Amino acid sequence: MNFFEVVFQPGIMDIIVKMLIILVKAVVVVGVLMLHVTYATYFERKSIGHMQVRLGPMQVGPHGLLQPIADFIKLFFKEDIIPAGADKPIFFIAPVISIFAGMTAISVIPFFNGFVIADINIGLLFILAMSSLNAYGVMLAGWASNSKYSFLGSLRSSAQVISYEIAMGLSLVGVMMMSGSLNLSDIVRAQERFPGGFYWPQALGFFVFMVAAFAETNRTPFDLPEAESELVAGYFTEYSGMRFALFYVAEYVGMILMSLVAITCFLGGWDGPFAIPYVPFAWLFLKLYFFIFLFYWIRATVPRYRYDQLMALGWKLLIPLALLNILGTGLVKVLLR
Amino acid sequence: MNTKKIVKTIFMTEILQGMALTLKSLFSPAVTRQYPKEKRQPFPGFRGQHAFVRDAKTGKEKCIACGLCGAVCPSKCIYIYTKEDEETRKKTIDRYEIELLRCVYCAFCVEACPVGAIALTENYEYSDYSREALYMTKEKLLDNWDRFMAGPKGDEYFEKFWTPKQQSFRAHDDQAVFRPKGSNGAARPEADTRPEGVK
Repeated sequence: MNFFEVVFQPGIMDIIVKMLIILVKAVVVVGVLMLHVTYATYFERKSIGHMQVRLGPMQVGPHGLLQPIADFIKLFFKEDIIPAGADKPIFFIAPVISIFAGMTAISVIPFFNGFVIADINIGLLFILAMSSLNAYGVMLAGWASNSKYSFLGSLRSSAQVISYEIAMGLSLVGVMMMSGSLNLSDIVRAQERFPGGFYWPQALGFFVFMVAAFAETNRTPFDLPEAESELVAGYFTEYSGMRFALFYVAEYVGMILMSLVAITCFLGGWDGPFAIPYVPFAWLFLKLYFFIFLFYWIRATVPRYRYDQLMALGWKLLIPLALLNILGTGLVKVLLR
Repeated sequence: MNTKKIVKTIFMTEILQGMALTLKSLFSPAVTRQYPKEKRQPFPGFRGQHAFVRDAKTGKEKCIACGLCGAVCPSKCIYIYTKEDEETRKKTIDRYEIELLRCVYCAFCVEACPVGAIALTENYEYSDYSREALYMTKEKLLDNWDRFMAGPKGDEYFEKFWTPKQQSFRAHDDQAVFRPKGSNGAARPEADTRPEGVK
């Protein structure tokens, strides 16, 4: 067999075309995602600003609309400072792990019927795995920085993520039981029988998931890993310039990811009360914007939990509630059979 | 825990109340002033950059070189150099300098001045990159008066807020106080020129 026979086997064109389609889908999703991340920062500053009776960014462009772009340019050209005692390879790789974990998990989310980058049967499990990997970025960043603030931030983060991972996984078990699948597209289709989605038959699960999602993304009221008032900036205190921006993007990607998981698992994904012609992803995005706003809204309202309260809430309330939810769902399923 | 409290905890009513409040304030107008575009008009009697009062009659400064302002200044940022006037043989100022970078804007100098020769204007926008620009000389101080306080504004400033000691200070006749020559040595002026309500 020569080279051409190896490359041009029958069926190779199909594989190439499939790969190209996946590549195009991935590029589209990454582009849209990055655009959302940039303007999520603007949206956050504006909405929290107005909630605090301020204006938020106003100087760059009309009503500060170009602020995220200015921020990006500034961060991109800033000096990259590495602490003298840092563990350099780990210090470099930590933000990459963080952003990689967040963005990879997006690939299994169905944006509308038939549009998934990777339509795999273990979608939900994959997302849980990836969101745990995200914690490695945080932990390694704190360790490699060789700074007490970073280290304390990462210690808190690892404890928090371990506690809330369990609650989150258990809260999603109810959804898996009701839909009988881990494939996110199947989960969305299973919700067609319930008007609105699984959020009312799985109300307890939805509540536990949302609380755990806030803790997983390190947002207020669970932002202990990066508690500004105590730890400067938590695990990324020592990061600057582009590496800092990577962590920042990872945080917003995590937020978007958690919102998307909540939407696909509890709020009927791309489905809406009526079909909007030509924009099959409209409902998904509307729900996404609502969830992102919810993150900001809660940030502007509630104070930070104390560390022992955080642990108590996770272990003593959320995990029992999630277990109760599984039990209840199972009982109802058995009784209705 | 009674039932009411349990219901409150489960449905997070307090958090929801807080969220309702933040949502309400989201739609309330912001109180921010866009500073360089929207400037705030200082209240009268504002303590901004210093000025040396230019006497409308003589066109010169009112200062009589008594040095009280320099003595009372808590940050010691006023430097006064005096000389004898060649013609009138009176003590006048040679140089009068204020180091703005050290000033704390307490307006003790204005309060101490017996003749109302120094004022704090409403100008608060004079940041600069050089020390020289923030080191006020007599000429610069007089210029500030012309720029910010000349006319009725300056009169009002001394009438309403900083009545000079010469006009308002009441003391026993045997108390050692500053008595300018024009007032026949009496600490108490003939007519009470103070605004109403000042004691």
